[in-house]
This record gives sequence, C-alpha cells and structure tokens, in this order.
Amino acid sequence: MSRGFVESTIVSFSRALSRALMSEEIARQPGLLQSLDPRVRLIGLFALVLAVTLSRRLAIVLALFLAALLLAVFSRVSIGALAKRVWLVVLAFTGVIALPAAFLTPGRPVVVLAGGSLRITAQGMATAALLIARVETAVTFTTLLVLCTPWAHVLKALRSFRLPQEAIAMLAMTHRYVFLLVETASQMFESRVSRTVGRLPGAEQRRMTARTAGVLLSKSIDLSQDVYLAMQSRGFRGDIRILADFRLKPWDYVGLLAFLCAGGVAVWLGR
Amino acid sequence: MRWRRGRLARKVNHNLALLFELQDIGFEYDCVPALRGLSLQIVEGESIALLGANGSGKSTLLRILNALYFPSHGSLSFCGRRLTPQLFNQDAFALSFRRQVALVFQNPDVQLFNPTVFDEVAFGPLQLQWPREQVLSRVNATLELMNIAHLRDRPPYRLSGGEKKRVALASVVVLDPDVLLLDEPTSTLDPRSQSQIIDLIQDWKGASKTVITATHQLEIVEDIAGRIVVLEEGKVAATGTPAQILSNQELLVRANLVHAHRHSHGGLTHSHPHLHSHSKHGHEH
Amino acid sequence: MHIPDGYLSPSTCATLYAGAIAGWYAALERVKRRLLSRFVPLISVFAAFAFVVMMFNLPLPGGTTGHAIGVTIAAIVLGPSGAILAISIALAIQALFFGDGGITTLGANCFNMAIVGSLVAYGSYRLISAGSSLSSKRRVVAAAIAGYLATNAAAFIAAIELGLQPWLFHNAVGTPLYAPYPLRIALPAMMIGHLTFAGLAEAVISAGLVAYLQVADAHLLRGTSGIPASSEDLLIPRVTATSPRRLWLSVALLMLLTPVGILAAGQAWSEWSPTEFAVAGSPAQIAGAGSVPSGTIPAGMQRLANLWTAPFPAYAPTFVKSAAFGYLLSAMFGVGFLLTLSLLVQRYVERRRTMRYSR
Repeated sequence: MSRGFVESTIVSFSRALSRALMSEEIARQPGLLQSLDPRVRLIGLFALVLAVTLSRRLAIVLALFLAALLLAVFSRVSIGALAKRVWLVVLAFTGVIALPAAFLTPGRPVVVLAGGSLRITAQGMATAALLIARVETAVTFTTLLVLCTPWAHVLKALRSFRLPQEAIAMLAMTHRYVFLLVETASQMFESRVSRTVGRLPGAEQRRMTARTAGVLLSKSIDLSQDVYLAMQSRGFRGDIRILADFRLKPWDYVGLLAFLCAGGVAVWLGR
Repeated sequence: MRWRRGRLARKVNHNLALLFELQDIGFEYDCVPALRGLSLQIVEGESIALLGANGSGKSTLLRILNALYFPSHGSLSFCGRRLTPQLFNQDAFALSFRRQVALVFQNPDVQLFNPTVFDEVAFGPLQLQWPREQVLSRVNATLELMNIAHLRDRPPYRLSGGEKKRVALASVVVLDPDVLLLDEPTSTLDPRSQSQIIDLIQDWKGASKTVITATHQLEIVEDIAGRIVVLEEGKVAATGTPAQILSNQELLVRANLVHAHRHSHGGLTHSHPHLHSHSKHGHEH
Repeated sequence: MHIPDGYLSPSTCATLYAGAIAGWYAALERVKRRLLSRFVPLISVFAAFAFVVMMFNLPLPGGTTGHAIGVTIAAIVLGPSGAILAISIALAIQALFFGDGGITTLGANCFNMAIVGSLVAYGSYRLISAGSSLSSKRRVVAAAIAGYLATNAAAFIAAIELGLQPWLFHNAVGTPLYAPYPLRIALPAMMIGHLTFAGLAEAVISAGLVAYLQVADAHLLRGTSGIPASSEDLLIPRVTATSPRRLWLSVALLMLLTPVGILAAGQAWSEWSPTEFAVAGSPAQIAGAGSVPSGTIPAGMQRLANLWTAPFPAYAPTFVKSAAFGYLLSAMFGVGFLLTLSLLVQRYVERRRTMRYSR
C-alpha cells in the first residue's frame, strides 16, 4: 500500500505540474518576456543557458540566477511557485547527487568530521556549489521560457529555425498525449489504490503494475489514433497554424541584443 | 449566426442529388472485419439515423464517410467523385472536403486538444487558412451560439461532460459544414443537454444540411431523422422510415437494439422487449 | 540518467550533439519513407509513455538519476528508428518542461538513452526472439533481457561521459569544472543503481507489456517480429533491414569523429594546457595534475588504455599517449562496437528470415 501511495503521489504531483505548465495562463499575462517575439525568447533564453554552462565562476552563475529572478518578476511569474515547483525539486535531486563531491574532491580541508575520516574540502564545496547553481539557473531559464510561451508558439518558433515538420508534428502531439496519459494514469492509480486492500505480495504487485502499464498503453494507443483522426478531420495536414503573426519589432531587437550581450559578458567574465 | 443552406451535389435529376454513394464497402481493423459488403446511398439534405449496437460498425462507417479511413474494397463517392487517399494528398481538395463534411466524435476528449476553448474552436478555421479577421469573428459568433462564450479561456480538462460536448460541437460548427456526421451525440448527457443537441439537429435539418447521426438511443430517432439505417455486423440490415423500423420488434431484437428481461411494474412481473431506458413509466398491456 | 546542464563540458556536449543529430537524421529518413501519417501518432504515444515511465526516478549520488526508460517496448513495437525518435522527443519535452536533463546536454542524453538504448534493445530482442511465434514465451524473456541490457548500456555510456569530465576538464587549482566524479566513482554509482533497480524495472515493464500485448493487441508486435505479413498492415509499417546503410554511415562517422571532435574542441577551448603533456605523458603525471590521486585507476582500465596508446608511433603528438585519450577512445569505440554489433545481429537475423521464408 505504501508503494501505491508513493506512485499515486508522484502521479498526482506531475498531474498538477503538467496542468500548471500546460494551462498557459502566465503566457497570456502582459509581462517582460511575453512582450518579446517567441523566437527572440527562444534564442535569448537558450543563449543564457549556454552562458551558464560556459561560466566557470560561481559568482557569475549566481549573477545569471539573479537575472533569471528579475526576468521572472517582470514577467508575472510567481517566485513562490518557482521555488516550490522548480528550485526545491532540483535541489533535492542535484543536491543528493552533488553532495558527495564536497567530500570526495581532494583539496584543502575545511570541515573535518567523524574523527578525521570524513573531510569536506574547499574545492569540494566550490564544486558542489557550482554544480547546483548551474543546474538551478539553467532550469529556471527553461521554465521561464515554457511558462511565458504557449506551446504552439514554441513549436512555430522551432519551425522557423528549420526544424523538420515531422519533428514538430510529433512534438505537438506528444505534448498533448503526455497530458492525456498523466490524466489517465492518475485516474487509474486513484481507482486502483482505493480498490487495493492491504499489501500485495511482490510478484503480484509486479504483475499488477505490468497489467496497469499494459492497459494504460493500450488505452493511449487507441486514444491517440482517435486524436490524430480528429485533428485530420478538422484539416490538420502536419503544420502548426496559429492566430498570432511573428513579426520582429524594434523592441525585439533590443531584447535580443540584451540577451546576447548579457550572455557574452557572463561568458567573458566567467572564463 | 444564420446557417448556410446546404447546396452541394450537382443535381442528377430534379429530385435526387446524390451526395454519398457507397458500393460494397469492406473495411478491416487488422484482419478483423468491421464492415462487409455495405452499400448505401445518401441524398443531399437527408437526415439519417444510423442504428446499431456497439460493434455493428456505426463509428467505422462515419469515419469512412469523413474520409479518415479508406475502404479496403468497394468504392465510396462524394458528389460523384471517388474518394481515394491520393485525392486527399491534394491540399485544395482535402481542405475543401474537410470544411464541407464534419465529424463529431463520440468521446469529446479526443476532440479537445487545444489549451483553451477559444483555441479549440479556432483550430479548424486556422487549419483551413482563413484570414485572421474572419477566424476571430466566426469563432466569437460560434461561442455565442453554443452558449459557451463564458468558457472561452477555460482549459478543456476543467469542463463538465455537457460543456465538453458543446465545445466539441462548436469546434465543428464554426466551419458551417454542409454535412454533419455525429457519433453518439447524446449518450452520457443529462436530459437538458440532450434536448439542446436535438434542437440543434433540427435546426440543421431545417437548413437543408445533411445530418447523419449514429446512435443506439431509439427514443430520439424520431426527432432527429427522416430515415433510419440499421446496421448489423457491418452490413445494412434494414432501412426505412422511423415508423417502419421502430415497429419491427423482431428486427430490433436481432440487431441488439432492445432487450427483454424480467421486470416488474404495477405489482406485475413479466418480460418483453423494451427500450434500454427504463425511465419511461408505464407501458401499457 | 538525465545529465543536467553544467555536468558536461561544452566540447563534450557539442560532440554528442553531433552524434545525436546523425542518429536523428538517420531515424527520420527511415520513418519518412513509411506511412508517416499513421506512424507519427504512434511514435508520439510511445514518447508520451516513455515520458511517464521516466518520471519515476531516484537520484544516484556520484552519478545522475536511475530509472527505467521505456525504450525497449518502443523498440519492440516501432523498431529502432521509431524508438530513437520517440525517446528523443520524450527527453526534449522533459528538458523543456521539467528541467529533467539539460538543454546543452540534450544531445548527450538522446545519444545515451534514445540511440544507444534503442539499438541495444532492438538488437538483443531480435536476436533472442528470432524465429519464435508471436505468442511464444521466448518473446517475453527476450523483452526482459533486452530491457535490462539497454538500460545498463545507456547508464554505462552516461557514466563514461561523466567520469571522463574531471580528467579532461579542470582548472589550474584542480577543481573539476563540470561533473566532479572520476570514473572510479561515476561508474559504480551509475551501474549499481541500474544493474539492480532501474534495469530490473525496465525488464519487468518490457516483459509485462509484451505479455499483455500478446493477448490484447498482438498485431502491434508484428512489426519487429520477423514474421512476414499476410495482409497489408496499415497501422504499423514493416520494419525491415533493407537499407540500414544510413545508420551504418552515421555509426562509422560517429566512431571516427567523436574522439577527434572532443580532442580538437578541447584543444580549442584550452581546457588542458599542452605543457602538461610535454613529457611523454605518464598516467601518474596526468593524475597528479587532476583531481584523483594516482594509483587509483582500476588496473583493468589501465591495461585497456595502454592497449590504445601503445601502438601509436613515436611521431604521434604526445597527448595521444595520455591515459585520458586512451579512456576516451575505448569508450567511443566501445559504443561503436556495441552499435555495430547490434546492426550486425539485425542483418544476420534478417538474412536468416528471408532465407527461411523464400524456400
């Protein structure tokens, strides 16, 4: 029962997250990022992610993190939501992964524990801090992109960068199917957890998991065929069509320049 | 919003304008036959109810009529033109067909794949590459017509069953098609939503649109159709007026559209064929 | 095994992106020639499915995360090209929406899980299940083994990529600039998690799904079964090895370009100073300048490295003789070997099938 509980918690969490990310409410707000052409947003934020990877100094990465915070504030993205959904999760995962680096990286010991056998070194702390800061900053930038841009616009922008049409079509449909799948999986888990009384023996658990996965897959395949037919029925021929017109205004050029300069400066200072 | 009058097929003679002609259609899902030797003629402006139990091939037939599937043998013609996959490779023909012939799926979740209701209704016009202004005005008009304007910014997973059905209908109605193919439009709906949809179908009938409704609910067929086609195991079992078909008990039982089981009312226990909905009080003996 | 931004050096990222792009291009070309309109939604379903499967992951200290992938069932139903695309799309959406895996490392992640994973899964499934009927139990076992191998292969490659980082890329003080764990830590950290929990999870899921599909939806298994179709299947295009030439080409290119790419780019970025290797580089010297104390290189790997460096003639640049270069070469050739092996297996199985059925 406890494993079922963990699974359903994960699924309901991802359901909430996927709904939040796919609701595109923030994308409709008037904010700094939203005011820029989606292509500029894409290039600019990816440039900043690249700058994060290229910087070797913690100070610079933290400065980029600050820039991300400012972008969030001016784009009507709630800091609290970012913290809860993004930063804490990343910290939990990357923290666990990076923590041993503090102990294992040789160098000048700063903290000595357990009678000398466990040493935290200055280099180790620097490494761990750099790792975690990089991931947090990079993920913040990509999350901002996704929160402030409707998915159809992301795809349209990618298409304008010459990504093959088939890839775009698959990205579009997978996005929709993920949502459907998470919803279906949530419902299945909810009904299954409520039906299961007590713990099942290991082999039975595995069989049930496999059967649940099988039913989920079958349902998804059937549903996906129908979704695709429905799209075709209304004239879908493979290309994404949106209401908005992508046209670069002077403000977009300013934004692009700002992004690239910030990235360039960060790389230069952080080399 | 006023409906455009359906005026599609070139009149073969003064009285009959043949819209769809199906000759000996066969279709299989991975070697399992869904339709076999099905022949049917549909005249423009007709309102047809496709009756049949689940698995009789109703949905498959609708999808073939909408050129989403192509028959593995036999031929399907629309306005005298044979429909083939090659024909649908041409953008011009495909887009004009998609505007003229619309299908509303049984499961609305299948049809709601855009982030908001507005986007959903706008999807069709955008695919047909209508100019921006036209898209906006038609979408707004359709939202008003279907009473869902207040839902325009709602994501689809936050809609009730009836609202989803209305949005699915709206997404198709916005194109003002000449042929409407409806797959179980009223199943799973509450009575008020059902009656709204029946009203809509009757409006379309009045505007001489061709409406083909697949359903297993016998109680609504008289309101929505002038002709009934009964499907049984992938073939046409019978066709006729509602009065003719509904009085043919033997046919209805054979086609699994009614059932007989012991039930009681008025203190009396008996068994005889009756409709699935037991909400009708008091049938007389 | 999603590798986040900042764990791989830019040159490593660029090289693996090149490899991934080659794989994507080859896969897309093969898929395009099929009935795209039916295949594309199916690929997307498996992408979505893999997405959900990969959500359940555990952090592995000293590595990245451990989880099943869903690549095996994708390869079994869609074939290798479809699976490459499906998993890559899942990874792309995860990177964008959930920050699971970085943007700069998307190429690397796709290379590890989508390309290596698909090919190993497909190759081993075909090999083990060859000749058996659609409903035979051997297919279930084949799926389990294929899943186990594919997950561990992907984890192994990821571990190599991560473990090489502190060797190759560190600052003057010795602090690793990217992933900080050397091979001796990264390998066990990643492999223990996958040899036990993640590999088993993938095996169970793959076997369970094949068993389920055998009963519920057997036609989905026909595409990669090697059994010729009796009627035209509109849904799943036939997956044959009629011309894997493009895939061969990309593998060959990859094997050739990868070590060259990493080295050339590494030189260009001055991530290691040539003066370190002025003397015919001994492993001890490299180790001293790096973060890991010497003498801790596993003896087996040391021998493997010498295998590559020993034959090089005296006029070769001195850095060629470094242990790091040797590790790189062995890793990349290991990958190439694995890929080539699975392609050979595929070819062999196909030839046997056509021989048998043409009698």
